[in-house]
Amino acid sequence: MRAGNLIPLAALLAAVVASFLYLGIDLASLVAGDSLAQMGQYASGFLQPDFSTAHLQAIGRGALETLAMSAIGTLLAALLGLALALPAAGRFGGVALHATRLLLNALRAIPELVWAALMVLAAGLGPNAGTLALALHTAGVLGRLFAEALENTPREPADAIRESGGGRMVAFCYGTLPGVWPQLVAYTLYRWENNIRMASVLGFVGAGGLGQMLYLSLSLFQEAQAATVILAMLLLVLAVDALSGWTRQRWVS
Amino acid sequence: MSIALRGVGLAHANGKVALENIDLEVSPGERVAIIGPSGAGKTTLLRLLATSLQPTRGEFDLLQHNPWRLAASQRQRLRARIGLIHQAPPLPPRQRVVTAVLAGKLGQWSVAKGLLNLLHPLDASAAQAALARLDIADKLYQRCDQLSGGQLQRVGIARVLYQAPELILADEPVSAMDPVLAGHTLAVLNREAAERGMTLLASLHAVDLALAHFPRVIGIRDGRIAFDLPTEQVQPAQLQALYANEQLQATPSSPVQPQPTHIPRC
Repeated sequence: MRAGNLIPLAALLAAVVASFLYLGIDLASLVAGDSLAQMGQYASGFLQPDFSTAHLQAIGRGALETLAMSAIGTLLAALLGLALALPAAGRFGGVALHATRLLLNALRAIPELVWAALMVLAAGLGPNAGTLALALHTAGVLGRLFAEALENTPREPADAIRESGGGRMVAFCYGTLPGVWPQLVAYTLYRWENNIRMASVLGFVGAGGLGQMLYLSLSLFQEAQAATVILAMLLLVLAVDALSGWTRQRWVS
Repeated sequence: MSIALRGVGLAHANGKVALENIDLEVSPGERVAIIGPSGAGKTTLLRLLATSLQPTRGEFDLLQHNPWRLAASQRQRLRARIGLIHQAPPLPPRQRVVTAVLAGKLGQWSVAKGLLNLLHPLDASAAQAALARLDIADKLYQRCDQLSGGQLQRVGIARVLYQAPELILADEPVSAMDPVLAGHTLAVLNREAAERGMTLLASLHAVDLALAHFPRVIGIRDGRIAFDLPTEQVQPAQLQALYANEQLQATPSSPVQPQPTHIPRC
């Protein structure tokens, strides 16, 4: 092996060793004493989920809240995204194009969790904050995707309506929308799937739904209750995946 | 006058002159064919008449208005009185034929009526009647992407018949149809225009169709009007001069046995 290869390798090795020393990670304690037994005990707590009626009812309410948060959040985002996509696709001139692109980028650049933390401060604890957080981030994503779909759709059908005297609004609805709406629906459904998963997590910063229940249970070391919440999340995500797959086949193909 | 052009010229943004010194008067109810070689300016002239291109020179009156001196909203009202038939009708592939035909009247309808029509066709029987004149009434509820090129062209014609404009501008309206169907469709279009007193201008690449169906023929070459005559006065020599091309020599290909062919109606 040549020296040119050895030097980076040695530097990499030194960096790894230095990282362990700097962080003071004690790998030995993972297996020392009764650590393994303690881990087993903690994990086994999750193997007996709490299926009591009261807890299941609470989970049902939480799941509904998560579902509603993601649905309303995605719907608001789709409407806001479409409203922003029109100027972002250059329909209202160059200044509007750059201004809305900047706004969309800003909305998209801030992750949902950060929006949720901000919205909890602004709108208080609970599902309101989660819905707003999802709506704002997703509006940035969908606005960008919608704008690209609008740019790539042929202009001629809408131009033909304009040339036979139709207004801008009807020209858009008759000429442009039929070409793009399958894409708009597909993008929105996909983001809804994402948002259901995200809505389950947003509760960790206090934004309602199943996530908040999971956070509470875990903080109180109620492994049994936490396990039920995780199972419920899993079921919810699977159900929504199936539903949106069916919807896509039904309406988008 | 339906159309009055005096000394109209059009130069594209890159300086290329597409039309030069066009003088043209068309009376209401006249039916005129525009012929000429590819690239002569037939489509440009029709787009200029449709107010989608602005002339760079000359006087232009359309249905007693100068469209480029009108405010934008008044120009849209003027456009509602003009029907355009495109060579490749720009219809969204997923749109149903009934919606595409009813869209002809969008310039005359209110926005609310237009949007309502999108949810539920408000005048399906009239759309069907327009399609029936072109023998495709059975396609009423099909999607546009299920139709052939010739069928789409007939949907485009049906849309303009439903629009019932005062002036029809048709750009190669039958180019995707077989000769028999093309002749039949042009006859229908001419009959409808004559019965309802609509002015009709159509560009055609098939000279025989132009001579057979239209009382007046305009030949265009290199962006200028080469001749503008009643059909019976058009001389074969004029047609030869119109299509003469020094660069292309017609080389006779190997003789083909003429076969009796049955041309199906698409």
